[in-house]
Amino acid sequence: MQPGAGRAALRPAGKLTWEQVLFDATQRSGRKAFEWIEAVFSDIFGQRWNPFFHLGALSYFFFWIITVSGLYLYAFFRTGTSVAYESVEYLTNEQWYLGGIMRSLHRYASDAFVVTITLHLLREFFIGRFRSFRWFSWLSGVPLLWLTFIAGIGGYWLVWDKLAQYIAVSTAEWLDWLPFFKEPMARNFLDQETLSDRFFSLLSFIHIAVPLFLLLGMWIHIQRITRAKTNPPKGLAIGTFTALMVLSLVWPAVSQGPANLDVAAATVGLDWFYLNVYPLLDIWSPGAVWALLAGITLVLAFLPLLPPLFKEPAAVVDLGNCNGCGRCFEDCPFGAVVMQDRTDGLPFAQEAVVDPDLCAGCGICTGACPTATPFRRATALVPGIDMPALTVREIRDKTLQAAGALQGNDRVIVYGCRHGAEIDKLQGSGVAVLTLPCIAALPPSFLDFVIVRNHADGVFLTGCQECDCYYRLGIEWMEQRIAGKRDPYLRKKVPRERIDRYWAGPVGLGRLKPRLAAFRARLRELEPRQKATGPDTGIAQPSMRQGGGS
Amino acid sequence: MTIIEWEEEYSVGIPAVDHEHKELIKLINETYEKMLRRQDAGEGVEEFLGEIYARISAHFALEEHVMQEKHYDHFEDHKADHERLLDDIRDIMDEYESRRHFSREELAERLRTWFSDHFKTRDARLHGHLD
Repeated sequence: MQPGAGRAALRPAGKLTWEQVLFDATQRSGRKAFEWIEAVFSDIFGQRWNPFFHLGALSYFFFWIITVSGLYLYAFFRTGTSVAYESVEYLTNEQWYLGGIMRSLHRYASDAFVVTITLHLLREFFIGRFRSFRWFSWLSGVPLLWLTFIAGIGGYWLVWDKLAQYIAVSTAEWLDWLPFFKEPMARNFLDQETLSDRFFSLLSFIHIAVPLFLLLGMWIHIQRITRAKTNPPKGLAIGTFTALMVLSLVWPAVSQGPANLDVAAATVGLDWFYLNVYPLLDIWSPGAVWALLAGITLVLAFLPLLPPLFKEPAAVVDLGNCNGCGRCFEDCPFGAVVMQDRTDGLPFAQEAVVDPDLCAGCGICTGACPTATPFRRATALVPGIDMPALTVREIRDKTLQAAGALQGNDRVIVYGCRHGAEIDKLQGSGVAVLTLPCIAALPPSFLDFVIVRNHADGVFLTGCQECDCYYRLGIEWMEQRIAGKRDPYLRKKVPRERIDRYWAGPVGLGRLKPRLAAFRARLRELEPRQKATGPDTGIAQPSMRQGGGS
Repeated sequence: MTIIEWEEEYSVGIPAVDHEHKELIKLINETYEKMLRRQDAGEGVEEFLGEIYARISAHFALEEHVMQEKHYDHFEDHKADHERLLDDIRDIMDEYESRRHFSREELAERLRTWFSDHFKTRDARLHGHLD
């Protein structure tokens, strides 16, 4: 594993076509744009509350706001040509303190929903999280776009104001282009007389049924990942809701005058989040707009199939070292490890089995394996589950090799991940670096090994930004393992003052450097220790404890 | 010569756990014999301890898995004990590293104490409490 590989160059060597160059350039500039704006948001909100790191969860949050406010509106909404508008007006004006706020929340949360799902889509695309083991999550997201827009457009229609009239007429003409309808739907909207109340009942039914399908789709969308985060952090949720409330009070959502089919709709104000396609319908033919949307949908659907189709080799189970303890299964962020009945005749109940199609190659499973400890001798160091791209034995060898060259009393080994900052630039006489697929691929006993066996004076961990782990759960698991809240625990006796971490993210090298320098300065203040004498024959600190089994 | 012998009273009634206990005892005895055959008792001890440490870690992980699956009422205590016992093994390893003159007999005695402690206190209670 080359350090830094995978950030830009996850492709086998070979000649690049101009399409690939263009594709890469688009992706890279998009990623840069996101990195830049995210850094700004991280400064304002902090990494944990950065909305860009919770776009999926925020979308869920908005969905629930839309649902609750929608249920309230539904209680007062009356389906009928003449009464629909009046019932909405009543909510907005007479009952502004509740009904009006509910209407505004319904509107603004829906707009925000479009914003978060769009950013979510763009971000996952630019970061490259749409193919390989992630194809299912990507593909299952595509129909959600359609459901979202159908639900939203239906909502504008129900209000039956001038905007609704415009939408109704445009949509009817647009749909009539399709060869599905026996009778042109547009005929419904020729004049006030022909518009039936039953059509309104159908519309309100659609406006409830489609969001239900959307919710089902959102549920399917997260099936391939474990512990999907569908709730934003509390602070972010409160802040977001407050912002929606303020917006609703300051700038309530209102109708644009009653619809009158006898008068053609003049200029109307559009909601550009949902109704962006309608101006196009005024210029293009319905067929052309259909073709455009179908084209966009197809491109999105087939994106996961675009080259490069490079995939990290999947984790490998070694049954001789697996007793079926299930820790890898517990920690895998993608549900790629399952526990199945034992096949080798040993009296264990289960064994870990990896589904290579689901495996991301992150190595978080290896970091959880109790046999993945560097205290084992190199010759026999095969853990129950290992990553072929960078085995535990290789991590051990590289750690020792890097540590051997270090000088001084502030020697630090920096472990990073290939989606974080370019830690290679930190290398020096007192600093060794090692890039892993994910920081949680490092079994915690490595920290014990490096520090207590005095291969270095301290260990510094870095990687993606907090709440933005490329492999979803790596940073969380690593923090919990160090804190003794998740297996395998880092031993309590490993001096914590010799461990530091800074989740810098891909562009955080500048901020990481002073953190590392400060850490090394603290190490120099600690009681000096003797230099290790050779490849893991280092002199350990004498233990405080005497006596064996207590 | 063996450090520790398997006894039926050690059985907790779970085939996988009993199997690993036996395997551990075998590993310890075999490696200890290997150590005895060598001229310099110091050689190979690190391998011996490191391997035992890994096996015991895995063994505890499995025991904890079984306990959690069966909602064992003393899980927290037992888990804390596992962490303490792992700490002890690591201490023995570190002490060996820092004190080259650690005698075979002393090492054997400490491991024996360690094992019987684990078997007789915590694991004994497991028997009959897991169904």
